[in-house]
Amino acid sequence: MKKITIILLAFVCLTHTYAQERELVQRTFKSTRVINTHSVETLQKNKLDFRVGHRFGDLAGDAGGWATFYGLENASDVLIGFQYGITDRLTAVLTRTKGAGPHRAIVNAQLKYRALWQNDEMPVSVTLLAGTGFSTMQASENPEALNRFEKYSHRFSYVYQAHIARKFSDRFSLQITPSYIHRNITAFDIDNDIFSIGAAARVQLSKVYAILVDVTAPFSEQHSNGDFTLPVGFGLEIDTGGHIFQINLTNAQGMAETDYIPYTNALWAEGQFRLGFTISRLFNL
Amino acid sequence: MKNIAFVTFLIISIIIFAASTFIDKNNFEINENTPVAEVLLQLGEPTPDHTQNKETTKDLVAIGKNIVLNGLSSKTGEGGRRQSKHFVCTSCHNVQREDPILSISDPEARLEYAQQNGLPFLQGTTLHGVVNRESWYNGDYDKKYDPRKIKPAQTDLREAIQLCATECAQGRELKDWELESVLAYLWTLELKMDDLDLSNADLQRIENGINDASQRSELVQFIKSKYSQASPATFIDQPDNLEAGYQLKGNADKGKLVYDLSCKHCHENGRYSMFVLGDSKMDYRFMKRNFTKYTRYSTYHVISYGYATNGKRQYMPNYTLERMSKQQIEDLRAFFERESE
Repeated sequence: MKKITIILLAFVCLTHTYAQERELVQRTFKSTRVINTHSVETLQKNKLDFRVGHRFGDLAGDAGGWATFYGLENASDVLIGFQYGITDRLTAVLTRTKGAGPHRAIVNAQLKYRALWQNDEMPVSVTLLAGTGFSTMQASENPEALNRFEKYSHRFSYVYQAHIARKFSDRFSLQITPSYIHRNITAFDIDNDIFSIGAAARVQLSKVYAILVDVTAPFSEQHSNGDFTLPVGFGLEIDTGGHIFQINLTNAQGMAETDYIPYTNALWAEGQFRLGFTISRLFNL
Repeated sequence: MKNIAFVTFLIISIIIFAASTFIDKNNFEINENTPVAEVLLQLGEPTPDHTQNKETTKDLVAIGKNIVLNGLSSKTGEGGRRQSKHFVCTSCHNVQREDPILSISDPEARLEYAQQNGLPFLQGTTLHGVVNRESWYNGDYDKKYDPRKIKPAQTDLREAIQLCATECAQGRELKDWELESVLAYLWTLELKMDDLDLSNADLQRIENGINDASQRSELVQFIKSKYSQASPATFIDQPDNLEAGYQLKGNADKGKLVYDLSCKHCHENGRYSMFVLGDSKMDYRFMKRNFTKYTRYSTYHVISYGYATNGKRQYMPNYTLERMSKQQIEDLRAFFERESE
């Protein structure tokens, strides 16, 4: 881990110097998140992003339909939090999510660093993200439960991501996101470590409206067996200048990376997808 | 003996009197770098209240420059605390000459001058020569601000700076040392004789006139006629019929200049506004579509009245006729229409 940190720091210093004099491509995505996944964007210095996200219950299937008013009466996850631009390249993220997996009441703390910035000589932007999810829920009395938290460290999960994106035109951007998730505690015979690859895209319809898509494919035996499924999301983004609104449909139940990547088990074909929305507002701080 | 002593005393007195008369003659020389304010002082004009002792304030210049150009305040003149979260002085004001003729406020000429000199085309009057003016917040700005704030600001540059810091920049009031530092920096932007575009003959005439009391008043008027003592400000009204506009034929190429040098100064990449504008067709189509709508997004509306939202301190200041003409607004509209096709 120390070697990785040193290599990353060296990479950061080199890339920062390289990009300084070029005209940088801005707004590959309009927000720091696509639907489920983070986007390559970092906040401008001294900008504060306040964000509220909500995922309702299943639209259809056994847990959906009229009985739950197509999921609107349930909440599979809620996110409230802030992001702050420490510099134009470095953003700190602090959110609280309800959680949809075995761990709940999760405090997520992340740092995003924009290592590479697309310009006329650099074809892509790259942002590195490192974070932790800390479950603050009460420990269970059940010794078999994942939230027994026999050790304090069992409350922690970690995420490391690289967001590699290119703005092809004002109308189209594409992002690839390799990720590594580590959970300090998992169920028996389930991997603590999961690698995944994600993709996200933005299609700008007009100055205000855009279509967003993201998908993440975790590589684990449980995902291969079908115990867990790929989180996929589709969204409509509305930019009013200062506010970004998003309405989406996704099968992911959780909203934090350490939640939705390893624990999504909902099937589109069985109606186990949900409506969601996100509102974010920028402040000068 | 007494007579000799008396005569000697008389001769010495005469010599001393003659010498003092000779010394009293002013040898003030004027060249292109001579500050206009100094020349006016030599011509008997009173010292402006905002005058500083340049020797004692020279260390404040770097501090003031940091505040004006970067919006940051520190006693070292580097980095420091922001004066405003939303704006810096140069969001709305240039610090260089921005008019080809200093005595005439003509936005058409200023736009051309801005293009030639790589300057933005801004709502606020340049800070170059602001210390040479005799009044500030002129014209229709009376309508915009609380009279208790604007009246002092109109005749006192320090008050004008504070009003700008708190109302226009939506920031905090400057501390005394910050205010003096800003003023020290502004004095480095004072007008020089070269800025007045005078001939050598005019300069000589002024230099000669300093020692001739009968010419001083006329020379003062002559010098002051070469630059504006105030910055006229006439608020615009949006057209009654937005479709018809101001009924002037727009020039799309000039409109592009307005867009590049004015709109994008604040809106490009979210520099001073969260409403981002760039060079995408989607931006042009949005602007064209909203130009003639009777909503707050209409460009006629925001140019004339500015834009503000309740509870949000960041806002867009309006343009006056002297800072953007009706013709230029129509030029901007023509540009959006052309680029939307």
